[in-house]
Amino acid sequence: MILEAKDLNYYYQDGESRRFVLKNTNVSFDKGKFYTILGQSGSGKTTLLSLLSAMDTPHNGEVVFDGKNILEIGHDNYRRNKVGIIFQSYNLIPTFTAVENVLISMSITENELPDNHKTVAYNLLDYIGISQDKANRTVNKLSGGEQQRVAIARALSTNVELILADEPTGNLDEEMEQEIIDIFKKLAHEHEKCVIMVTHSNDIAEQSDQTFYLKKGVLNTNE
Amino acid sequence: MNFFKRGLLSITRRKGKSLILLAVLFILGNVIAGAISISQATANVEESIKERLGTGATLELDYEALDSMEESEMMNLEIPNLGEDLINQIGELPYVKYYDYNTTAFLASEEIESYNPMMEEAEGEVEMEGMGPQFQLKGVNYAPLLDIEEGKSELVDGRVFTDEEIENGTPVAIISKKLADLNNLQVGDTFSLSNEIYEYSESGEEEVLDSRDVPLEVIGIFEPKTVNSDTENPEEFDYMDMDFQNTIYVANELVSQEMEFSVGDMPEYEDYYVPFFVLNEPEDAEAFEEEVSPLLPDLFIVRHASDSYDSIASPIESMSNLSKYVLIASVITTILIIGLVVLLFLRDRKRELGIYLSLGESRMRVVGQIITEVLIISIIGMTLSLFTGNLLAQTVSDSLIDNDNNQSEEEIYYTEMQTDLTTEDVIDAYEVNLTGDFILLFYAVGIITILLSTVIPLIYIIRLNPKKIMM
Ligand SMILES: Nc1ncnc2c1ncn2[C@@H]1O[C@H](COP(=O)(O)OP(=O)(O)O)[C@@H](O)[C@H]1O
Ligand SMILES: [Mg+2]
Repeated sequence: MILEAKDLNYYYQDGESRRFVLKNTNVSFDKGKFYTILGQSGSGKTTLLSLLSAMDTPHNGEVVFDGKNILEIGHDNYRRNKVGIIFQSYNLIPTFTAVENVLISMSITENELPDNHKTVAYNLLDYIGISQDKANRTVNKLSGGEQQRVAIARALSTNVELILADEPTGNLDEEMEQEIIDIFKKLAHEHEKCVIMVTHSNDIAEQSDQTFYLKKGVLNTNE
Repeated sequence: MNFFKRGLLSITRRKGKSLILLAVLFILGNVIAGAISISQATANVEESIKERLGTGATLELDYEALDSMEESEMMNLEIPNLGEDLINQIGELPYVKYYDYNTTAFLASEEIESYNPMMEEAEGEVEMEGMGPQFQLKGVNYAPLLDIEEGKSELVDGRVFTDEEIENGTPVAIISKKLADLNNLQVGDTFSLSNEIYEYSESGEEEVLDSRDVPLEVIGIFEPKTVNSDTENPEEFDYMDMDFQNTIYVANELVSQEMEFSVGDMPEYEDYYVPFFVLNEPEDAEAFEEEVSPLLPDLFIVRHASDSYDSIASPIESMSNLSKYVLIASVITTILIIGLVVLLFLRDRKRELGIYLSLGESRMRVVGQIITEVLIISIIGMTLSLFTGNLLAQTVSDSLIDNDNNQSEEEIYYTEMQTDLTTEDVIDAYEVNLTGDFILLFYAVGIITILLSTVIPLIYIIRLNPKKIMM
């Protein structure tokens, strides 16, 4: 078990009353597996992922990484060294090239990395399907699918074991979508990563090792 | 790629915005550099002129306070006197290099002629009968003569007084070269002045009531050094010169005896002394004044030679004030404008900043990157404006001095602390230079201003919520 959520509660204050987005959510994840969290739009998927990635803090409950509360690890520290996050809207820095975007996260992490960052970054991009020529372009000159690959390379570049992805294929066509899913499967099965992906697509969910269903803030292991 | 490199890269990748920021900084930098140049040049003038004015100090009546008094107050006013004891007590303070105090009597003479430059020009001997006493008998207590020690005059023949002569009031005198030449007097010769007591009749006629001769032996001859004749209004200086040439130095005691003779049997007469202290350093002035002021009788104040700076330096002073206001205003403007420009640019880069934070970068490093970027552009802008701002200051101050000098002529007046320095000298001493001090000060002010201007943008970064931006 690498990641565990214990009794997570998250709500928005609506005047006097609280509107719960997540209610007593308990879930745990292992390394080497590709997980999907399936839910309709507005069901709280992004909220759950923001808590698991320490982009936000739950009102109750805790997120535990490797047996330690992530508050104890420190949210910045956790994001810097323990988790790679992939967003629906890529979130790359447009003035920098693809390889520079990868290099930035490599310079921020404190994890042990091979000495020659540049070579590592090019190799990683190549592995994900970005040629050196494309790696040297500023990212706004890449297609959506290519940009998301750069984002995946960035998430992997810090040598983390946990990858969290929030509807990463939401803006891509089906072919591109399948290629990204294949990468995730490979990362889980060949590289022992724990990949957790949020989606509203049943087709994708079916390809994962385990699916959790999120409905009105309640997480279940079956429909 | 650490935050410093990221900053460098951001500058070159966003050329347009970097250039806009550079342009704004260049313009503001010129104003700040100009203001600092001028204020430094004025400070330099003040320092050098005050040094030339010397470290002399005297104690005199506070004429401003007297002027503002009611008439009734004036009527009952008893002007106190500075006793010898008090003067000596102050003279012993550690700030004082040496000091003297003088009492003065004006005497006439039937035997010798007084020096008068106007007469020399008029060639024909105009008789100056009935002009009253023309010789200033200046009593001194400091045997080597303060005027000689201070370089106001030079001993060209003979010697100065001895301590015994000062104490006993021996009838010996030191006179000017011009006076000596005019009357064929040499060291060792004797001449006499006459101490006359007048009585004024009802009709306004004056009548000599009593008189006695004051024989004096010439022991030394001096020549005034500081009065220069190559100024714009030589008459004024000739007039000053005349007073100096007709000054006869003797011991205080001798003057005191002559005064006693002239006041006759007036019971409450006291000698009236004007003290003059020479301080060790110009910087001692303030401490000296602080220590002396409480010792003085009411209505007396300390007056420094350097005080006359204010009266001769008005064009420089007004420029100094102006430059200070401009500096303050431009620093505040810079803080606001740069703050807003940087804030606007940061809002454009909101996503980028959110990405750094989502990658776990500490907010302090993100702040560090932005400060790096702004500082690099600032230093380039400041370096460019360093030269142009200094040039600007030269042009601006030239025209400011011209304007101001035309307005405020003839404001020179002389008090006990005479100076032959004029506004012209002050303006001549004014010079805008590209000095190391200026460069240092400019960068210091500039960098502090820029750092202050980044406070608002930095608060923006600190409050940034990456989840809202990215998820
Ligand atoms: N800032 C907010 N204020 C109030 N409600 C919000 C806010 N952000 C999201 N919500 C609500 O929280 C719920 C869950 O949102 P989210 O986790 O983004 O859902 P999903 O990612 O599954 O589409 C939604 O009903 C949404 O309307
Ligand atoms: Mg969502």
